[in-house]
Amino acid sequence: MKEILNIKNTKERIDRIEDILASVASGDMDARINSEIEDDFSGIEAAIDLLINDLTDELRQRENMQKELENKLSKIQDQQKTILQQQEDLLELSSPVSKVWDNILILPVIGTLDSQRTQVMMENLLQKIVETGCTISILDITGVPTVDTQVANHLLKTVTAARLLGAECIISGISPAIAQTIVHLGIDLSAIRTKATLQDAMIFAMKQNKRADEVRALGNLALPNEKTD
Amino acid sequence: MNLHEKRIPIIKIHDYLIVPIQVDMHDKLAIQLQSQILEEIAKTRAKGVLIDISVLEMVDSFIGRMLSGMASMAAIMDTSVVIVGMQPAVAITLVELGLEMPGVDTALNMEKGMEMLERRLNSRKTDSF
Amino acid sequence: MLEFTYKAHCDLLGKFKIDTEYDIVTVRQTIRQYAKDMGMGIVDQTRITTAVSELFRNMYNYAGGGEVLIERGEVENHHALIVTCTDQGPGIEDIELAMTDGYTSGQGMGYGLPGAKRLVDRFEIQSKLKEGTTVRMMKWK
Ligand SMILES: Nc1ncnc2c1ncn2[C@@H]1O[C@H](COP(=O)(O)OP(=O)(O)OP(=O)(O)O)[C@@H](O)[C@H]1O
Ligand SMILES: [Mg+2]
Repeated sequence: MKEILNIKNTKERIDRIEDILASVASGDMDARINSEIEDDFSGIEAAIDLLINDLTDELRQRENMQKELENKLSKIQDQQKTILQQQEDLLELSSPVSKVWDNILILPVIGTLDSQRTQVMMENLLQKIVETGCTISILDITGVPTVDTQVANHLLKTVTAARLLGAECIISGISPAIAQTIVHLGIDLSAIRTKATLQDAMIFAMKQNKRADEVRALGNLALPNEKTD
Repeated sequence: MNLHEKRIPIIKIHDYLIVPIQVDMHDKLAIQLQSQILEEIAKTRAKGVLIDISVLEMVDSFIGRMLSGMASMAAIMDTSVVIVGMQPAVAITLVELGLEMPGVDTALNMEKGMEMLERRLNSRKTDSF
Repeated sequence: MLEFTYKAHCDLLGKFKIDTEYDIVTVRQTIRQYAKDMGMGIVDQTRITTAVSELFRNMYNYAGGGEVLIERGEVENHHALIVTCTDQGPGIEDIELAMTDGYTSGQGMGYGLPGAKRLVDRFEIQSKLKEGTTVRMMKWK
């Protein structure tokens, strides 16, 4: 037996759907089908509207996050500029570690690293991790021209020590020259998370944060059912 | 100072055991603590153990081995161990010594350690569905 | 019985015996205090304390105990804390092997000797079969 579908004005309505989808695709996030007819086809129209709603929300969220990120980044870049200007003084002082985001620390390193300075820096970073309780830190070496074996080993050691404390340390901004040196020296950085730029590292760190939040939320939801098993 | 009489408390809270190590342990005490914790796990059926070492000023290869051994043994008993609050100087020294303790879970503080155990527990429960 | 490369003008700070497991703890705590008194930072204090702990345990495990000499001196323009561990144990047959990461003749992890070496500024080891082993370590302030 064939069921007869009850659909009015099929042609016009399909055309309207195509128009709406085209508008959405070209960026008009306010376009909706809003059909007033009630028949076998209205469910599909309503579903498409819902999907467009979801998509719009998603895009808005992404935009907001992007904006926030850009703000923070430009702040960091300003910071870095100031730091660059004070490079001379800085070499005497220890490197500044700053908390730029909930749970994220950034340590921008500028200038030539010698063994002793790296050591002091590493101790400061680890101390700061413990003080702030931040579980993710980014060691940005964009401003470092070269490294030698000792310095590379200190960096490696910092990452491992951070893990022992219960935190993750990402290294960003490894220049081609440094990448070459590291491979030539036979230093194994494969166990370490490296990101091309500070921005990539930030995005990664934020995603980790978000994932941790989600898991936490999930955990809370799951708890009431837990007791039954 | 009476080293012979130190005993380390094991505290049970909900499904977890909390072990605050507050003395510089000699080897026998470390070994004794290890079996004490394992027995306590069996007895209380605890799902996780938080070992707080935030006041420890030194972890040498013996204590390091005891801690990572502890984690593996507990894992076999289906219990997670998290080492909490290691001091930066201790972490640096351990890495230089050559003890990177792979596979041992660590957390910055008690709260984070507890969160980690909860997450473990939840993912394990969902796995079993 | 042994000659060391680094000759130094030293003040004796203390002399201790390692006979029991408790001695390992008390003497390493004493050494931390000396390191602190000399003005070493927290990380260096931890390094030297951990290094000596490894040597003390080796003496206790493999030689049934031994003696510790703690000195303070000027070495190569550095203020140095100098710790010398001497035992009358079986000695080490192949020092190079014993100094390799991961080598153990027993149930250890084999990081004691090479690890201790990485934690200090100077490390010397001498050993004679059936006579004993001496290790001298220095940490700069
Ligand atoms: N004082 C000593 N007398 C005799 N043999 C020694 C002495 N110290 C070390 N050794 C030998 O050298 C080996 C390596 O020592 P090392 O401390 O590096 O490792 P380990 O003691 O076996 O393990 P770990 O220290 O990691 O627990 C030992 O297994 C032992 O055979
Ligand atoms: Mg040893």
